[in-house]
Amino acid sequence: MDIITLDNVSYYYKTYDENNDVSYAVGVEGVSLSIEEGAFVALVGHNGSGKSTLAKLLNGLILPKSGTVTVAGLSTADKKNLFEIRKNVGMVFQNPDNQMVASIVEEDVAFGPENLGIPQPEIVERVSQALEQVGMTEYAKRSPHKLSGGQKQRIAIAGALAIRPKVIVFDESTAMLDPLGRREVLNVAKQLNKQGMTVVLITHFMEEVLDCGKVVVMSGGHVVKIGSPMEIFDDDRLLSSVGLDAPRSIALSRKLKSAGFNVTENCIDAKVLGGEVCQNLTNK
Amino acid sequence: MLKDVTFGQYYPSNSFVHKMDARIKFLLCLVFMVGIFFVQSFVVFGFITVFLIILIASSRVPLKSILKSIKGIIVLLLLTVVLNIFFTKGDPEKDKLLVSWWIFEIWDAGLYFAAKMFLRLVYLVMGSSVLTLTTTPVDLTHAIESLLKPLKVIRVPVHELALIMSLTLSFIPSLMEETDRIINAQKARGADFDTGGLVKRAKAFIPILIPLLVGGFRRAEELANAMNSRCYEGATKRTQMRVMKLTWRDLVGTLVVLLFFVTVFVIFGMKSQWINANVDWLYINDVNWLYF
Ligand SMILES: Nc1ncnc2c1ncn2[C@@H]1O[C@H](COP(=O)(O)OP(=O)(O)O)[C@@H](O)[C@H]1O
Ligand SMILES: [Mg+2]
Repeated sequence: MDIITLDNVSYYYKTYDENNDVSYAVGVEGVSLSIEEGAFVALVGHNGSGKSTLAKLLNGLILPKSGTVTVAGLSTADKKNLFEIRKNVGMVFQNPDNQMVASIVEEDVAFGPENLGIPQPEIVERVSQALEQVGMTEYAKRSPHKLSGGQKQRIAIAGALAIRPKVIVFDESTAMLDPLGRREVLNVAKQLNKQGMTVVLITHFMEEVLDCGKVVVMSGGHVVKIGSPMEIFDDDRLLSSVGLDAPRSIALSRKLKSAGFNVTENCIDAKVLGGEVCQNLTNK
Repeated sequence: MLKDVTFGQYYPSNSFVHKMDARIKFLLCLVFMVGIFFVQSFVVFGFITVFLIILIASSRVPLKSILKSIKGIIVLLLLTVVLNIFFTKGDPEKDKLLVSWWIFEIWDAGLYFAAKMFLRLVYLVMGSSVLTLTTTPVDLTHAIESLLKPLKVIRVPVHELALIMSLTLSFIPSLMEETDRIINAQKARGADFDTGGLVKRAKAFIPILIPLLVGGFRRAEELANAMNSRCYEGATKRTQMRVMKLTWRDLVGTLVVLLFFVTVFVIFGMKSQWINANVDWLYINDVNWLYF
């Protein structure tokens, strides 16, 4: 069953030039997309390709100028639906510092449930469960700003989880993190998906989409291709036209193959590839 | 440069005062501050001193941290003392003129008055710093929100005010980091913040303020998105995770403070006939120690 459906959605930003004349910039244009419940969908594209615009359309932060966005059967166009929609679609943004509303970890995580108006004992339960899900239980009473970037993002994830959404959208949540922090956040996302959560992962690190079921490639506000990660990586022309690169290990394995090496094509794991290259060299 | 504002001046400890409810501490601090302003005599200041010593001892906050807070008002203190000494005109009938030079006159009444003003200000700051040293800003925010709740009836946006305080607290650390970063970036481009006159130095700060402001707007937008995404719709049906519970400590603390002030003021504070009649023993060497 589809939890989110976008039907021919367009969004334009109003901009003003020096003479105060109004013009419109394309955010997204003519996007149709459906996301199945429990799916792990990646959204990739160059800077300015419309990824964040699409993300904000998913929970009604912005409303489509034309077309419809439907979440769990509710259209975002109706203001009365927004509360219910946001209960269903959690969102984690790029900059961890700009999503903290409280200066104590557990109070930040409690912000969502407090807004839902649920009774106090249940808030406590949800907060401790959410912190456990992201492995941050021991930091409950700390202040967030001394934590690492990856830890802060895990707090932000816990804040979304405490609302108990069906879908969680990561809008380049790993972009500002070091490799370790990226791995932390990515692992949490994967683990949540295993537990049944629908995950929409927006990124421009192609390595991160390897485990996704479906990859949506965006360019200039349009969806230009939807396919499995391998289908996307295979399409060299598409990738270079939208300014993206296949993960290095895959690109390398292809080059080696065409140079006559006996290696697995589209090898994801750099270690395996290395082993195979050594094998080839000793055999020669 | 970076200090953890979440804990402000907070001095962590498990003392009696630390464990008291922030709301009660806040109210008692108000009582203390108001009380101080009614104190007229040095004898009562003596009692207040004893009270403060007991308070500080039971809060287990080092005296040094409390005295540090006085440093912040030193200019104000000096100004008050000097002005009061030189500009208090005594009453020739009962006060003594000590020094007279040009337009300046120093009366004994002026000295006493300046000394009392000095003590009042110092005790005021000491009392309030006991509050901020034993209570985290977060707890204070909750306390203020809870205490102001009745004002909702007259449409004071209590929840919003508390939210603003809480957002500010969580924003300050990243704002300071941001400032540091911008200053360093401008220094790397050759900006000079440390030499030149006041105007030149003030001008040097414009290239810091503008990026800060721009960053602030961006943050505000992102924060609004993050809050909306987490189902924020104002105060209407919000609940709270934090429960504030009163304990025996709050009862004991309140009783001690109130009893102290009531007793002191009943015995020393009132100018009524009845009191004067009962405190004859306070006249020593023809000086009424009550008003000295
Ligand atoms: N607030 C805005 N005002 C005007 N134009 C915007 C605004 N936000 C985004 N855009 C434009 O919309 C397009 C899509 O942006 P965005 O969705 O943020 O892309 P991405 O997240 O993929 O980098 C870009 O061309 C960008 O310049
Ligand atoms: Mg973006």
